[in-house]
Amino acid sequence: MTTDTKERATKEPRRPDEQADAPPAGRRGMPAGRVLVVLLLGILLWGALYAPELKRSSEAQPEGLRRTVSLAILDPVVWVEDRLGLTRLIDNATQALGRHPNEPVGGGVGGLQDVDPLPSVPEPGNTPKHPQRDTTIRIPTSAKPLRVVIVGDSLAQGIGSFAERVFKPSLVDVIKQGRISTGLARPDYFNWPAQMRLIVDRSHPDLTIVMLGENDAQSLVTPGGQLEAQIGTGDFPPAYEQRVRSFARLATSEGGHVIWVGLPNPRDTKRWPFIEHQNVAFREVADQLPNVAFFDTWTTFSAAGGGYTAYYHDGKRLTLVRADDGVHFNADGYTILMRLVARFVTQQFKLDPRSYEG
Amino acid sequence: MLFPTTDFAIFFCLVFLGHWWLNHNPRVWKPFMIAASYVFYGWWNWRYVFLLAAVSLITQASAIAVDHQRQPKRRTAALALGVAATIAPLLYFKYYGFFTVNVTNAATTFGLHVAPPLIQVVLPVGVSFYTFMAIAYLVDIYRGDFEIASWVDLFLYLSFFPHLVAGPIVRPNELIPQLVVRRDPRHIDVADAMWLILGGLFKKVVIANYLAGAVVDPVFGDPARHSSPEAIVGIVAYAVQIYCDFSGYTDIAIGVAKLLGFRFPQNFDRPYSARSVQEFWRRWHMTLSRWLRDYLYIPLGGNRKGTARIYRNLMITMLLGGLWHGAAWHFVVWGGLHGAYLTVGHWKDGKREAGQLAEPPETALVHWMQRLATFTLVCIAWTLFRADSVATALALLARTVTAWGLPSPLLTRPVLLAISAGLVTQFLPHRPAERLRAALSRLRPVPLGVTVAVVLFLITTLGPRGVAPFIYFQF
Repeated sequence: MTTDTKERATKEPRRPDEQADAPPAGRRGMPAGRVLVVLLLGILLWGALYAPELKRSSEAQPEGLRRTVSLAILDPVVWVEDRLGLTRLIDNATQALGRHPNEPVGGGVGGLQDVDPLPSVPEPGNTPKHPQRDTTIRIPTSAKPLRVVIVGDSLAQGIGSFAERVFKPSLVDVIKQGRISTGLARPDYFNWPAQMRLIVDRSHPDLTIVMLGENDAQSLVTPGGQLEAQIGTGDFPPAYEQRVRSFARLATSEGGHVIWVGLPNPRDTKRWPFIEHQNVAFREVADQLPNVAFFDTWTTFSAAGGGYTAYYHDGKRLTLVRADDGVHFNADGYTILMRLVARFVTQQFKLDPRSYEG
Repeated sequence: MLFPTTDFAIFFCLVFLGHWWLNHNPRVWKPFMIAASYVFYGWWNWRYVFLLAAVSLITQASAIAVDHQRQPKRRTAALALGVAATIAPLLYFKYYGFFTVNVTNAATTFGLHVAPPLIQVVLPVGVSFYTFMAIAYLVDIYRGDFEIASWVDLFLYLSFFPHLVAGPIVRPNELIPQLVVRRDPRHIDVADAMWLILGGLFKKVVIANYLAGAVVDPVFGDPARHSSPEAIVGIVAYAVQIYCDFSGYTDIAIGVAKLLGFRFPQNFDRPYSARSVQEFWRRWHMTLSRWLRDYLYIPLGGNRKGTARIYRNLMITMLLGGLWHGAAWHFVVWGGLHGAYLTVGHWKDGKREAGQLAEPPETALVHWMQRLATFTLVCIAWTLFRADSVATALALLARTVTAWGLPSPLLTRPVLLAISAGLVTQFLPHRPAERLRAALSRLRPVPLGVTVAVVLFLITTLGPRGVAPFIYFQF
């Protein structure tokens, strides 16, 4: 906004403008037909160069028309490139540019970007392995802060960011391991059990906060990509619950504690029955296993009548907590959720209340 | 539909073909372009195409009502009614949640019980941008600066997909005359268009997306866990991120329009090379700055009616500009801070003109000091813009001076390189880039296509995986 410019918008009459878009002196223009050749060649050649990566992205998509069409186009392209040795060449170029071609989403262990590196703990914890009943969380000190790991999908990324605010830096190390678009259904895309094994071995977390399942409304496959249980069939619920149980066991195998943060109700009510089943599975596993507790996000953030609401009232203050997509939370929502989870840990496992704010 | 996606690439090739095929026949070409633009918009959420159509309908009906009135008072009343009707959807979609929360909490503070319906209103992408263009059209008709366009031209003016979701805010006299004259298919400035599109993609995908994940999000997410150097670099990185993100988007929009034979106004002109905040606003989001000037600041009285009124007008304009960016108090404070900067700048200019304040010496050192001071002020304001609350912004600003001596693991070489790359572009001379574009323009289609493919491959491989939305989509 300036004050030293003309006060009135200049009155410009309509004028024929046919040549205004032509290039200035020194640059040559090109007829539209040739520009189309440039565009098509540029996009198709890029598609060929980027085909291995596009194929990996397509494979990661949930089953559906888009995935089927993408793979129907990309499979033969990659097959030809494999035969011609081009894939290796492209992978080498990709690696030279700093990206590992087969790197899992969000980076590998000790990964990059918004995923924290996993710190190694020189000596294993003194806590018993495979606890038989609930134990309490040790009292943190500034010399030996608690190690809290946040794992899961984009919702876990959200709570991870705000967990850092809620837990006091002097007493708690927060290790964010959330990865977007992941879940337990597709270990061929991102293998959460393998990742959890590494997290436990390398970081010995005192507390693991899990928020997973938002992307699991699809058939269960094995790490090799074979179908294990078709969604919508009777095989699915027990197979899914088994995956949840195995994951929780893994997370507590070195004596750590787990809070399984349940999924909130989304705005789209068509998704409710599936998510309610998921929450039942999470709760049952938490009830069965020691050192695992289930936090009921659905009920906490529902409207008085049980429906979806984007607002949360803590008795004093109204806050808009849900993101526009009707699935995720906004910054205020994640902060409130994380505070409630921290209090819940105190209630369940006697976490020292001085470890967090609010 | 997002620009840096394969969906858009396929869409654009089809539209490009249809556009140049039908361009000679406006009766077919215009409906085709409107339909294409509505598909582009509806790709995100088809329901909101009705909103776009409704805003277009209201705008044209209001413009006709304004144009038919000859009596000044009635003409003004028709304009006021038209602007109110045009802006009403924007106010509802953008500010309902903000209003609900603040009114409820304020009432609770005073012991009152207020219970507005707790509706979650989802902000349609681009609604601010096409509403601003609609208001510009209405006001220009009222002022007699522009003639009534045809219904079809008005619908196309507001929905034209290159500018639809995040600008630039194109004025009626810049775009509508281009819609009524056949575009010339013989001399497309393809070199410049590709330069803008690929450069914009590089800024967005490689620099902005990388800085967001590597340093900006962690630092703004929890200032208390970061050292002073990290806090400073995080703030500077955000300045680079938002520039690369937004200017990258508008470069792509301008390049895409250019391939269709249309010329859009420039939206950024090396804003971080500015030597004052006033100059910064002449270089940053230039189409919004002039919109605020022509349709808000001047109607408020502009530079007329004395110094106190100028300061008031500047503050009101910038506070509303802040609120336009988002329904949250930290945006309002950001706008207020810029209003204060501009007011002080205006006051100093007045003192200098009156000879009460010495002009600074015109030396290179002074110029660089002025640039550094301006950049610092802008960065302080960006902290309020990016943070999720005023409290977080103040905590981060405090962190820049209170946490020296702590480890700074986020300060990696790639982060510093990306920041430097974003800042260096502000000071590069124009001539080498112009020579490069001239050389590109001399390439034949096949070598140019291969160049485009290789550069695209480099961009998509260097950038983080996934498609991050543009920052300005939310505004």
